[in-house]
Amino acid sequence: MKKDYLPMALGFWGVALPLAVFGIVFCRTAAERIAVLISAAIFTLVGTLIRKAKD
Amino acid sequence: MLAVADWLFIVWYFILSIGIGLYYSKKAGKSISEYFLSGRSLPWWLLGTSMVATTFSSDTPLAVTGIVIKDGVSGNWFWWNFMLGGTLTILFFAHLWRRAGVMTEVEFIDLRYSGRPARFLRGFKALYLGVPVSCITFGWVTLAMVKIIQIAFGTSGVTALAICLGLTIFYTTLSGLWGVVATDMLLFGVAMVGSIVLSVVSVEKAGGIPAIVASMKALQAQTGRDYLSVFPSLGQALPLAFFVALFVQWWAVYYPGAEPGGGGWIAQRMLAARDAKHSVQGTLWFNIAHYVIRPWPWILTALAALVLFPDLIGAPAGTMEAAYPRMIGFLPKGIMGIVIASLFAAFMSTIESVVNLSGSFLLNDFYKPFIRKAASERHYVMVSRVLVILVSLLGAGFSYVLGSVKMGWQLIMELSAGIGLVLLLRWYWWRVSAWSEIAALSSSAAMAVYLQRFPDSPLVGALSAALARAGFKVDAWGTNVLLTVAFTTAVWLAVTFLTPPDDKDKLLSFYKKVRPGGFWGPIARLHGRAYKLDAYPFLGWALALLMILFFLLGVGKLIFLSYAQGAACLAAGAAAAFLLSKIIGKIDWEGQ
Repeated sequence: MKKDYLPMALGFWGVALPLAVFGIVFCRTAAERIAVLISAAIFTLVGTLIRKAKD
Repeated sequence: MLAVADWLFIVWYFILSIGIGLYYSKKAGKSISEYFLSGRSLPWWLLGTSMVATTFSSDTPLAVTGIVIKDGVSGNWFWWNFMLGGTLTILFFAHLWRRAGVMTEVEFIDLRYSGRPARFLRGFKALYLGVPVSCITFGWVTLAMVKIIQIAFGTSGVTALAICLGLTIFYTTLSGLWGVVATDMLLFGVAMVGSIVLSVVSVEKAGGIPAIVASMKALQAQTGRDYLSVFPSLGQALPLAFFVALFVQWWAVYYPGAEPGGGGWIAQRMLAARDAKHSVQGTLWFNIAHYVIRPWPWILTALAALVLFPDLIGAPAGTMEAAYPRMIGFLPKGIMGIVIASLFAAFMSTIESVVNLSGSFLLNDFYKPFIRKAASERHYVMVSRVLVILVSLLGAGFSYVLGSVKMGWQLIMELSAGIGLVLLLRWYWWRVSAWSEIAALSSSAAMAVYLQRFPDSPLVGALSAALARAGFKVDAWGTNVLLTVAFTTAVWLAVTFLTPPDDKDKLLSFYKKVRPGGFWGPIARLHGRAYKLDAYPFLGWALALLMILFFLLGVGKLIFLSYAQGAACLAAGAAAAFLLSKIIGKIDWEGQ
C-alpha cells in the first residue's frame, strides 16, 4: 500500500525543486534565500518521510 | 504584476495538486465509505495535517493581521481560547468518535437517540449543516479570496480565482476524501511556505526584528497598548470579550473547526482514522500545528505592516485586514508566485473539505435514510458526486449575496452560540436525549434572532450594567454570548428533565459500542459493567494545554530575541510533551 502515498511524496519533491531553483535565482537578500532554501529542504525531507511511511 | 516565473510556479503548483487529487478518484469511487471516509484507513499524520490545512483558510491570515494591528499579539486569544476545547477533544472525544464508527457527525444522532425526535433531528441537522452552514462557510472563504485577489491584482485576478474554484471542485468531486486529504498535505506545506516567505520579506522591509521591537515599544508609549505581549494586560478593567473567550466560548460555541467535542471536518477525519489511537494522535498533531506552527508568520507580517504603514492604527477593520495582501507588493518576482500559490492553497484546502463534508451530510443523513434507503454503492457514490457539485454551485452563489467575511462568521457563531454543552454531555450523560439537542438548537437560534432584533433590550442593558459594576470592560459580543449560553442551557436542561429518557435498548447498544464512562449509572447496571473515567485523560488535558502554551510562548520569545526565556519555555513544553506521550501510551484507547 506504500504506492498510495507515492503521489503525495512526488508532490512534495515536485514543489521542492522549483523552490530551490527560484530561491537561488530570484531572492534578493540572504534572509530571503535562506528562508526559501530551508523550505525546499523541508519539502524534500517531508516527501522522503511520506515515501518511507509505513501503511 | 506577475512575472513569467511567477506564473510558471503557479501553473506547476496547480498541475501537482490536481494530479494528486485525480490519482485517488478510482479508489474513492468504490463505495461511500471510501468516498467520504477514505475507507477508515488514515494514519495520524495525514488526518491531522488535513484538519489543520482545512482550518487554514485564505481569510485566516487576514483575520489574524487585523486582530494584531488592532489589539496586538494578545488579541489572538479571540481564537487561541479554542485550544482549551481542542485539547479537551484530544483526550475525551477523539477515540469515542472512532469507536462510534458512524459515517458522519450527524449519523451519531441515530446511534445515540431513538424515536421520532431523533429522526427529525438527523434530517434537520443534515440539511442545516449540509446547506446553509456549508454555503456560509464556502461563501465567506470565497469572498475573502476575491478580496485578496482584487487587492493583489485588480479585478482581472477574479477570472483566475473562478478557474481555480472550478478545478478544485472538479478533482474533489471525483476523488472524495482520499483526494482531499492527499492534496491537503501539499496544500498545507505550500500555504506555510508562502506565509513564512512573506513574513521574512516583510520583517526585512521593516528593518529587522530589533527595529520592529523598538517601534512597538514606541507605539506602546503612545497608545498604552503592549503590542508584543502574548497575554492581555490585567492592570485595567478586564475586557469582557477576553473573559468570555477564556471561560465560555470554547465549550459553548459551535464554530467550524473548533466544535465542542469535535464536529464537522474534524469529526470526519477522526472517523476516517485507522483506529482510535490514530484518531487521538492526529487530533493532537492538529492542535500543535494549528496553535503553535501557523500563527507566528502572520503575526510577524502584521507587526511589520504596522511599522511600514503607521496610518493603520485606528483604521477601519477592512483596511487593517487588507495589510496582509498589501505586503505581497514587496516580494521579488518569482517569489511572488510562491506566495500567491500559497493563498490559493489555503483557499483550495478549505473549499474541497467543505463540499465533501456537505455531500456526506446530504447523502448519508438525508438522501439515504429519507429518500432512497436501499441502493447500490455505485448509485450512492454517483449521487454523492452530484450533491458535491450542487453544494459548490450554491456556495458560489452565496458568496455573491454575503455582505462581508465578518457577516459569515457572525451568522454561524450567533445561531449556535449556546449548543456546545449539550454536544459534550451527550457522550458522558445518559439522560441527554434528542429533545435536549432540539431544545438547545432552537433556543440558541431564538436568542440570536431576539438579540439581532432588540440589541438594546432591557435584558441586555441589565446584564451589561451588572458586568460593568463587576469591573468588566463590557462589549456587545461578550454580553450576547453570556445571555445566549445562560438561556440555552436553562432551556435544554429543563426540557431534558421534562421529557422521557431515551429508549433503554438504544442507550445500552450505544454504551456497549462506544464505552464512554461518565454518568451512565442505570445503563451500566443494565449492561452489568461500568466503564470508568480515570484520572489520566484529565492529566493529559492539562499537559496538552501546558505543552501548547509553552511552545507558543517559546517560539514568540525566540522571535522577539528573548533567547533565555524562549529556551526555558521550549524546554518546559518539551517536558510536558514527554509526559503527555507517556499518558497517551498508558490509556487504553480501544476501551476493551
